[in-house]
Amino acid sequence: MLPRWLIQLYAVALKEVRHTVRDRRMMALLLIAPAMQLGIFGLAVDFDVDRVPTVVVDHDQTTVSRQHLRRILADGTLVQRMVTASDAAAERAIDTGQMAAALVVPRGFERDLARGKAGHLQVVVDGTDPNRGSIAAAAVARYARIETRVAVQQALRGKISAARIGLALDAAAVPMASPSFPDVVLLPRVLHNPRLATSTYIVPGITALLLLVVTVIVTAMGLARERETGTLEQVMVTPMSPLVLLIGKLLPYVGIGLFDFLLALVVATAGFDVPIRGPLSVAFLGTTAYLTCTLGIGLLISTVSRTQQQAFIGGFLFLLPALLLSGVMTPLWGIPSWLLPVTKINPVKYYVEIVRGVLLKGSTFQDLSFHLGMLVAMGVLVLAFAAWRFQRSLA
Amino acid sequence: MTDKAIEVQRLRRVFGSFVAVDDVSFDVAKGEIFGYLGANGAGKSTTIRMLCGLLAPSGGQAKVAGCAVGANTLALRSRIGYMSQKFSLYLDLPVEANIEFFGGAYGLYGKALARRRDELIERIGLGELRRVVTADLPGGIRQRLALATALLHQPQIVFLDEPTAGVDPASRRSFWRLIRELAREGTTVFVTTHYMDEAEYCARIGLMVSGQLVALDSPRVLKDKWVPGKVLTVQGRDEKTMKSVLGDQPGVLAIEPFGATVHIRFDPARLDEAAIEQMLANCGSETLLIDKAEVSLEDVFLAVVSKGVNPSTVSHADAGVPA
Amino acid sequence: MTGPFTALGHALQRIAAMAAKEAAHIRRDPQTLAMALAMPVALLLLFGYGVTFDLEKLPVVAVDQDHTSVARSMVRSFSASRELVIAAELDSVEKGEALMREGRAVAVVVIPEGFSRALARGERTQLQLVVDGADATTALQTINKADAIASTALSLPVTTPGQGAARLVVDTWTLYNPAGRSALLLVPGLMAFILAMVCVLLTALTVAREWERGSMEQLFTTPIRRGELILGKLLPYVGLGILGVLLVLAVGAWVFGVPIRGSLLTLAVAALLFLIGMLAQGLFISVITKNQMVATQVGTLTSMLPIQILSGFIFPVANMPVPLQVVAQVMPATHFIAALRGILLRGNGLREQWQHLLALAAFALVMVVITSAKFRRRLD
Repeated sequence: MLPRWLIQLYAVALKEVRHTVRDRRMMALLLIAPAMQLGIFGLAVDFDVDRVPTVVVDHDQTTVSRQHLRRILADGTLVQRMVTASDAAAERAIDTGQMAAALVVPRGFERDLARGKAGHLQVVVDGTDPNRGSIAAAAVARYARIETRVAVQQALRGKISAARIGLALDAAAVPMASPSFPDVVLLPRVLHNPRLATSTYIVPGITALLLLVVTVIVTAMGLARERETGTLEQVMVTPMSPLVLLIGKLLPYVGIGLFDFLLALVVATAGFDVPIRGPLSVAFLGTTAYLTCTLGIGLLISTVSRTQQQAFIGGFLFLLPALLLSGVMTPLWGIPSWLLPVTKINPVKYYVEIVRGVLLKGSTFQDLSFHLGMLVAMGVLVLAFAAWRFQRSLA
Repeated sequence: MTDKAIEVQRLRRVFGSFVAVDDVSFDVAKGEIFGYLGANGAGKSTTIRMLCGLLAPSGGQAKVAGCAVGANTLALRSRIGYMSQKFSLYLDLPVEANIEFFGGAYGLYGKALARRRDELIERIGLGELRRVVTADLPGGIRQRLALATALLHQPQIVFLDEPTAGVDPASRRSFWRLIRELAREGTTVFVTTHYMDEAEYCARIGLMVSGQLVALDSPRVLKDKWVPGKVLTVQGRDEKTMKSVLGDQPGVLAIEPFGATVHIRFDPARLDEAAIEQMLANCGSETLLIDKAEVSLEDVFLAVVSKGVNPSTVSHADAGVPA
Repeated sequence: MTGPFTALGHALQRIAAMAAKEAAHIRRDPQTLAMALAMPVALLLLFGYGVTFDLEKLPVVAVDQDHTSVARSMVRSFSASRELVIAAELDSVEKGEALMREGRAVAVVVIPEGFSRALARGERTQLQLVVDGADATTALQTINKADAIASTALSLPVTTPGQGAARLVVDTWTLYNPAGRSALLLVPGLMAFILAMVCVLLTALTVAREWERGSMEQLFTTPIRRGELILGKLLPYVGLGILGVLLVLAVGAWVFGVPIRGSLLTLAVAALLFLIGMLAQGLFISVITKNQMVATQVGTLTSMLPIQILSGFIFPVANMPVPLQVVAQVMPATHFIAALRGILLRGNGLREQWQHLLALAAFALVMVVITSAKFRRRLD
């Protein structure tokens, strides 16, 4: 003899599945669309700054100027797309957004260097994208720094006369680098994503976002629909407790969400070289916890909404901050402290850290126990609150 | 152990300042077909929803199938069935799926569910339509389906809120055949309706006006109490003429239009048919057609509603005149 | 004498009547007003602060294996910076990595043993920086900032004469955004994104709602033509949208310092075309999907994430594979964002932005036409 709530739970879940299966469009949206979108978006995301379209203005037109220009452009950060002799034309090109940087060599560059004076290079960058601008400028600055260092070291080794570079030094007595010109180099060692590839870490994030959008919308509107059509009343007159109804409505979507996650994993590993360094069981556990959270929030929204329109607006207003303040597309380290609490209760943030942790860092259950715990706690809390509100809305 | 299926004592429900149900008390016996009549907005649906545990009472108490309303709601719900005014099954699912879902909601599963499902489908005559999507069913058949889902768990009491609204006469007739079968099998039926001919099937009828129960009795007694006398149906004279001729006659109780005819109600002790016929014949030249008619519950309804609240009726009522 | 002008006059009259009816609906629905006006402002405030690439107070663990005063002064210069903050000073790299795994640090800077000795000997010295690459954006910025600190922390000016000799000096000018604030990049994108969302929301729901209630069919019995109906329905929302744009520009300028350097007229035209296109898209969605639930799912899924990701709002369009760049160019948001950045930041006008404006106009036209066409088929 099975307990009644179990029978009821099964009946509700089965009904939800039947509803969904009947609606082909919904099926496609729920099952296929997420993986497809993941594939497309994964291809689109790329923060790498290279091939910055640059306009080159060489007023000097000498061997030395051409040599330096060639070497600056050699590493590919800047790519020459336009050459002009007119400063105004270069500025126009940046104004219109065609070019993002300009390299200007003033007349007399080679002569200045030959005479032992400083040779000035001018870099004009479009600050609209500060990331791109600063990296482009830094590339040129780095080149200049390296060139200067080389020159100083050659002088210190006596390879070129100190007078030539204007340093009054006793070449024999001074070692290769003096404490006043220290040569400190930072050696970065990047863990988990050595090439700092954008898609590697954004793709797991987008998975979280896709799951979120699908589940919240579907559940927020599903219950509102039942209320509007009146079927809810018929269900409530049966000896089914509201909690059973809510959980029964959730279950199929947990299944669908897990399936979507599986598909997303396939796309990520096959299409974007995302590794799987940690235990997948933790990832699936995290996904389940995340889904109960998002589904619970969807249900909560629907219990406080009297119409489908309200439910959708509620879902939308939750989704936007959940998406944008999750650390998926922009890091959370830049937000002001008054916004921090919002991120601390954002289930997306914890889930993304779980997925990135498992896939990229090889994190174990122990490493992520806090995150998992937060998701479970939030899920339970939200569900309990939703059930309570649901109960109240019936009286 | 009581033999009453439903016991209601001074039940009350307010919405803000609006009193929807005002101190209503009545009993319903087991196996009885109890009718609940009233105008729209009189409080019938509110009463039913309180008795089903869908709405909490603002005052008073009620016991349904032995369970106190508001206390043990789940136990209550497992003993009753409910069919709401608005069709409330899943339109996008087929007949079978609806029955299976609600069966599960009542705790049926496996072979027991399958057996009950097939039984009911046969009983309501939907055998060939079991795979049809509910939205594609005609109105009358949908109502039968709704009734079937209310009966899945063999409830002791079934609450039907205007079950035949908008249904064609033939379907209505077969619907009430089902209801009478149920009652014979011992199920108590609490039904609201606007169709007066259906109300005749009820053992007793309660009449609600503006939240108050103003009349409660069997159809026969109600008719005798509220519309005493005999009724004649007259064709060939218009209402105005008849009122001017007969209006002041002692013994004439009421003159009302009724479709294409006019009904005259009179006290046979003070007047007889022949006299009336004579008076009418004299006031016009068209062919006169007079026939005997039965007092109907519609007459009762009109009489009750127009007279307002009667202080001497069953339920305690404030001496207020309804709006 | 019914000439073409009279016919046009009648058409305009019908459009005006339709618009007036829709405006009356909106007035009676405070939610719509709130959505169109208050929401964009609130969202811009929220996300203007929350969505940023200007990272600060990145927690870094310092592992000093040298234990000399030089090493300590290196650590101090890290903690003195605004962007990085020393979260902990530990004695082993493993402990630092443990903190990284928990998400409490983004990098570990290691000053190796013998650091100051090597420095005194004039050898090239190395600092190690172990960075969590799982968030590459943060990692890159951490590396860059640490690199800048490392190479300049201990430098003293070379105080010998002729110091500028034979050296390359780079003079850098950063145009339009000298402080390098990511807000100037992101806020225009946010504006476009939020406005797009609000537009789709407003119309997708309105019409689907009317379908479900059956009032749409009543409209068809009037002598209004489909195109007029569409335009008439759109107009009040366009009006609301323009108000929303103004509010959003004001917030952008006052709160986030996004200037308005370019032609206001071009900006107005761009905004108008963008609004019409997005609103018509919302209308189109609700016309082809009568079921409200599906309408909103479709509307949201087709707008939210694609706009966030493909429009150049956060991820540069130039970096995308060519087929996706084509897709991006089809989206009006891409053009509106580019136009906004050009007009607001670079002082552009029609001459520089005409291509984007043309694209916006084309999209708007196509949307209105196909929505009208789809409407027609529903009638017959």
